[in-house]
Amino acid sequence: MSDTKQRLIHCMKAVFPAIPEQALEQAQNANLAGWDSVASVTLFATIEEVFGLEIDVQDMKHLLSFQSLLQYLERRADQKGG
Amino acid sequence: MKLIEALEIIHQHPRNQLGEYRVSLVCSFSPLHLETLLHAFLLKAIPDRRMVIETGLYGDFWGNLARLDKERFDAAILVLEWGDLDPRLGLRSLGSWAPSVLEDMVRTVRTRSAQFLLAVKHLAASLPLSISFPTLPFPPVSYSPGWRASEVETSLTFEIAAVGAELSRLRNVGIVSLSRLGVLSPPANRLDVRADIISGFPYRIPHACALADLLVKNLQPVPLKKGLISDLDDTLWSGILGEVGPGGVSWDLEHHSHMHGVYQKLLHSLEQSGVLVGIASKNDPKLVDQALRRSDLLVSRANFFPVEAHWGPKSESVARILAAWNIAADAVVFVDDSPMELAEVQSAHPAIEGVLFPKQDVQAIEALLHRLRDLFGKYLLSAEDAIRRDSLRLAQEARENEPVQGQVSEDFLKQAEAELTLQFGKEPPDPRALELVNKTNQFNLNGRRIGEREWQDFLREPISILMTASYKDKYGPLGKIAVLGGQLVGNRLTLPVWVMSCRAFSRRIEHRCLEELFKRYDLEEIVFDFCASPKNGPMREFLRNALGQEPAPGCRLSRKIFQDRKQETYHRVLELTNV
Repeated sequence: MSDTKQRLIHCMKAVFPAIPEQALEQAQNANLAGWDSVASVTLFATIEEVFGLEIDVQDMKHLLSFQSLLQYLERRADQKGG
Repeated sequence: MKLIEALEIIHQHPRNQLGEYRVSLVCSFSPLHLETLLHAFLLKAIPDRRMVIETGLYGDFWGNLARLDKERFDAAILVLEWGDLDPRLGLRSLGSWAPSVLEDMVRTVRTRSAQFLLAVKHLAASLPLSISFPTLPFPPVSYSPGWRASEVETSLTFEIAAVGAELSRLRNVGIVSLSRLGVLSPPANRLDVRADIISGFPYRIPHACALADLLVKNLQPVPLKKGLISDLDDTLWSGILGEVGPGGVSWDLEHHSHMHGVYQKLLHSLEQSGVLVGIASKNDPKLVDQALRRSDLLVSRANFFPVEAHWGPKSESVARILAAWNIAADAVVFVDDSPMELAEVQSAHPAIEGVLFPKQDVQAIEALLHRLRDLFGKYLLSAEDAIRRDSLRLAQEARENEPVQGQVSEDFLKQAEAELTLQFGKEPPDPRALELVNKTNQFNLNGRRIGEREWQDFLREPISILMTASYKDKYGPLGKIAVLGGQLVGNRLTLPVWVMSCRAFSRRIEHRCLEELFKRYDLEEIVFDFCASPKNGPMREFLRNALGQEPAPGCRLSRKIFQDRKQETYHRVLELTNV
């Protein structure tokens, strides 16, 4: 498992502690009852803290699932590395 | 603490606590991460309770404040920002900043400040409150450049400071120190404009964390230390007494030893606030006596009790000082410039907090002064603080007059001219009673700490009784030393609260207190809500002797057994009744 994925799971577990780890990878705003706007703000703040980056406001509205977040973070990591 | 750590603390906290601790968070912004961080700090401070934090309506600070009075909370946290005093001072408002409205801003803030003052004074009568005044940078509303303090900024700051000064005198109110907050969270790093605009949360997370930490500390103070034991050479003063003599040690600018003088000032201030200050020094006792009598010393010989000066190990000095003070090692700080001496003392007394006096580093000495203030800081001074040292000194002299160490003779008790003053009134609530309940460890029925609201609820019960006892004898007054709180049903009294200061041990006050309860309420039995704690050995021993068996939760003492086993007492008992 990539470091980015591991750290994202860490963030997701902190914000959604009741969701089993296996289910987190399929989680999305539409199918998770607790993923409301407050949870989104908390999740973004947690990700920013753990990954040491700032998520652009324009990007936030597209980051509503585990997979989209993972892709976004991997892209940011690539940009940073490149 | 990071946000993710706070979330983990909250989710990992066990759910089987004693009960709820309900806190109202009053602010007008979206509480988001501040609420999370407060929750985590509260759990760390009060781990045995389940936290319930209730927040009010977004954007309605004043309505949320007013609603506090209608609901029942254990505590409230009030976070005031500039925009609450006048919306035009907040970033989210587009109200005018024209020079013509500045005067109106000052008027509005003045009115709001007065409203806040009144509301908090009213609430503080029954509710512990932790308050932060505006922490965000003052917005650029004035026509003046930012480096110049404008009339509007100075006027508004003055209004807030005046309210703070008045509220800081109230027992139930704790105000976050903006000076300490400035150390933890530099002002330029506090405001998060992006978050404020997107989500209505104006703080950067490190600032929210620092603020949450201080708000909770104000609400649930950490256990304070009671005694400080200081070394002399290169600590209380600069120089080695045995080498330079009493006239050669220094604490002044001329000898570059000024910070030792500042340390003396702090010790004097601590001692005058009721902290016990003793000396442990490897030195010639005659030289020490001479040096401590120097008239230019900033803390006098009389402020130190006891002074242990000899060539024996410091751990032995510390043991004798702890015995004289009759307090546990974990309530004591030992200050010495020698790491070796600190280690020797800590090996014998692991619970003591050892602090190195950094004699070569004036900056570090200044930091040490702040640390000592934090360890011993009191929220308000009481009359008991002032008499503690004298009563201990007299008790020590009395013990030295005792024929048998560790036992109290009948003759000694008979001639002590002991006077016990009992008070049975519940109204108005005596703040010292709850303070004593929450700081007494050794003679404490169950070690349970009680919140202000819980205490008031208990006292309001018609079946509840409260007895407080003050003591004095010919050796001096001890002040208020015992609190007994119970519930009376018929001839049975159930006692969930019984504490007695350790300064009052060996005077049979505990026997007399029970005797007075049996007599006053014509009791057939007393039921003790006893629970053994790591520290309440003296209470356990007393109950074991009184009951004739090992005490257990809910143990009962009948009138007959009490009469058969009680010890003779010689107190003159007076009764005060609250009007």
